[in-house]
Amino acid sequence: MLLTSLINGVVIGSLYALIALGPSLVYGLLRVLDIANAAGLTLGAYVGVYVFSASHSVWLALLAGAAAASVFGWLLQRVLYRPILGRGPLVPLIASIGVFIAMEEVFRLVFGPYPHDFAATVGLPTVRVGGTVVTGVQLLIILFGAAVLVGTWFVLGHTSLGLAWRATSQERETAEAMGINTAYVIGAIFIVGYGLAAVSGVLLSINYNSVYPTMGDIPAYKMLAIIVLGGLGNPLGTIAAALLIGLVETFVVAYLGFVLPREAIAFIVLIIVLLVRPQGLFPGEASAA
Amino acid sequence: MGSHGKVGFKVVLAVAVALITAVGLAACGSTSTSTSNTSPGAKTAIKIGFFAPESGFAAADGASAYDAAKLAVNEINASGGAGGHQLQVINYDDASDPSQAVTTATRLVTQDHVTAVVSGSYSDQTLAAAPIFQRNNVPMLAAYAVSPGVPASGDFIFQQDFNGVVEGRAAAVALVQDLGVKKVAIVAIKNDFGSSLVQGFRQEAAALGAEVVAIDYNQFGEKDFTPILTRDKSKGATGFFMAEYYSEAQQFINNWNTLGFKYPLVGTEGIDSTTQFFQPVGKAADGLVFTTPFNRDSTEPVAQKFSASFTAAYGHVPDMVAATTYDSFLVLKNALLKGTSATQIRDAIAATTNFVGTTGTIIKYNGHGEVVKAIDLQVIKNGEPHHYGTVDNLQLITP
Repeated sequence: MLLTSLINGVVIGSLYALIALGPSLVYGLLRVLDIANAAGLTLGAYVGVYVFSASHSVWLALLAGAAAASVFGWLLQRVLYRPILGRGPLVPLIASIGVFIAMEEVFRLVFGPYPHDFAATVGLPTVRVGGTVVTGVQLLIILFGAAVLVGTWFVLGHTSLGLAWRATSQERETAEAMGINTAYVIGAIFIVGYGLAAVSGVLLSINYNSVYPTMGDIPAYKMLAIIVLGGLGNPLGTIAAALLIGLVETFVVAYLGFVLPREAIAFIVLIIVLLVRPQGLFPGEASAA
Repeated sequence: MGSHGKVGFKVVLAVAVALITAVGLAACGSTSTSTSNTSPGAKTAIKIGFFAPESGFAAADGASAYDAAKLAVNEINASGGAGGHQLQVINYDDASDPSQAVTTATRLVTQDHVTAVVSGSYSDQTLAAAPIFQRNNVPMLAAYAVSPGVPASGDFIFQQDFNGVVEGRAAAVALVQDLGVKKVAIVAIKNDFGSSLVQGFRQEAAALGAEVVAIDYNQFGEKDFTPILTRDKSKGATGFFMAEYYSEAQQFINNWNTLGFKYPLVGTEGIDSTTQFFQPVGKAADGLVFTTPFNRDSTEPVAQKFSASFTAAYGHVPDMVAATTYDSFLVLKNALLKGTSATQIRDAIAATTNFVGTTGTIIKYNGHGEVVKAIDLQVIKNGEPHHYGTVDNLQLITP
């Protein structure tokens, strides 16, 4: 049971990492909690399921979903967020929630309220590890999670985009004054963040064989807990927090049963950690804001 | 920003707000459709209220129930109506939400002035609506809401489907007696449906000498039963009782198969949906036995005719919610023959005996508006439900 829970926890944690990384990067840049990112998750899942049924290729589905969500994310920041950034943190937050709610209804109106199946095989085999079974899609999720962890560490620390992000999240005006094209950085971050959310949406749908309009609900608010827990403004901290939450949720259910609603566990962990360490686990530059 | 930029932004914001409002309004709308069939010189049409979860997580069941309601009323009207009166259905969507069900009930009573009501909805919603109908002396038949609290709301409220406690007992008979399981693990949905099923199951399992080694209640939307299943196995369970609705049951079966479990598994009418369980899950659930009022292999003419008409009208075979809703209208039509006042309808329903419907024979309604009828056991073979057995011990099936 220990091994099963460990693997399950890492799978769920990896999905959370994919979902929460985009908003974490956005928060660092703009001090805005981008709830609408979860709409990118659902959009990616729907585009993915339709592309898959036409092409029977999971990779095409992932690409198409990520592309659609990236375009959506880029448009969102260009049309909605950038013009209202100067109006304080509440206005973009409310706008973001409004977009998320509206998108859920759009999905319901366009695709119907019933869940769609997403019966796909990913080309990776189901393996037995010890006494545990790991399905192909779960393996793929873990691989993506690892790739995101390594990728984030590399990009943030070793590329000019990463440097530009770190500068902009520290002090946007100064970074602009120093010649960094913050509009470009913001656009790029939204493209990446929404693309990752879409990937998580497709993988989530394949894993649970279900795409439905409100599938972004739980990720939308759980992602907040994860970002705050990890330390606002620290994307690597976010990934660590995501894995931690995934493991805690799985272990609590495995050893204690459904004593708590699963979704409450993330917030209980958050409350406990914040009581002891108010800046989160790995505070970044933005935690003081 | 220059003034030109500010004007442009305001226009964009206004359009965005208008769009979001429009989409939001479209989302919150309640449908009010009626099928009426009055011709000049006929007796006045009788209005029957109907509510079902036509949006929200239970939308598939709501659609199925409403389809059956329309079919029943069209057939009744085509054959001359109920006691010469044409029937008119006033339909509302309760959005799978008890507070919406309360609004709907109030509207049906105070604005639509319906003569009687059929609930095509779940226990939570029906429980919320029933007291309103009882207070206003409007007879109500709950098609498939199985919480014992529903008929307990009063003498105008009737339960068309055997209640959860009775059904739980039948599930115990299936798992313990028929399938020989002595150590049971229970996984149930956390609501009135789940808890009443578990209550009945535990009663009968104890009487039959089985031990319940674990009980776990999950929330709606639970997607991962792997930890629970693994835990139950380590506690020595040799059989499982799954009291879930179709969404959670799909995930349960998925996890069950991934883990390679081969234990006896008994489910309930919560999974009895053509479009949301049998079609998508198919053979992955072969071997699952479940309790339900609807026997697909019934040889009764009314059941076979119903299955044929429903499939012809809607393109897929009917399920439990459709069959019980259809029967509710049959019982109501029968009662309307004795009179159209509220007390006449109430007394006529209460006096119904040996009434053959699509979901078997109603032996009678007991003094509390609860139906006494046999429970059918179906087993999934090649992805389709078929008759497996019947639980008709009078003591067990009497609430």
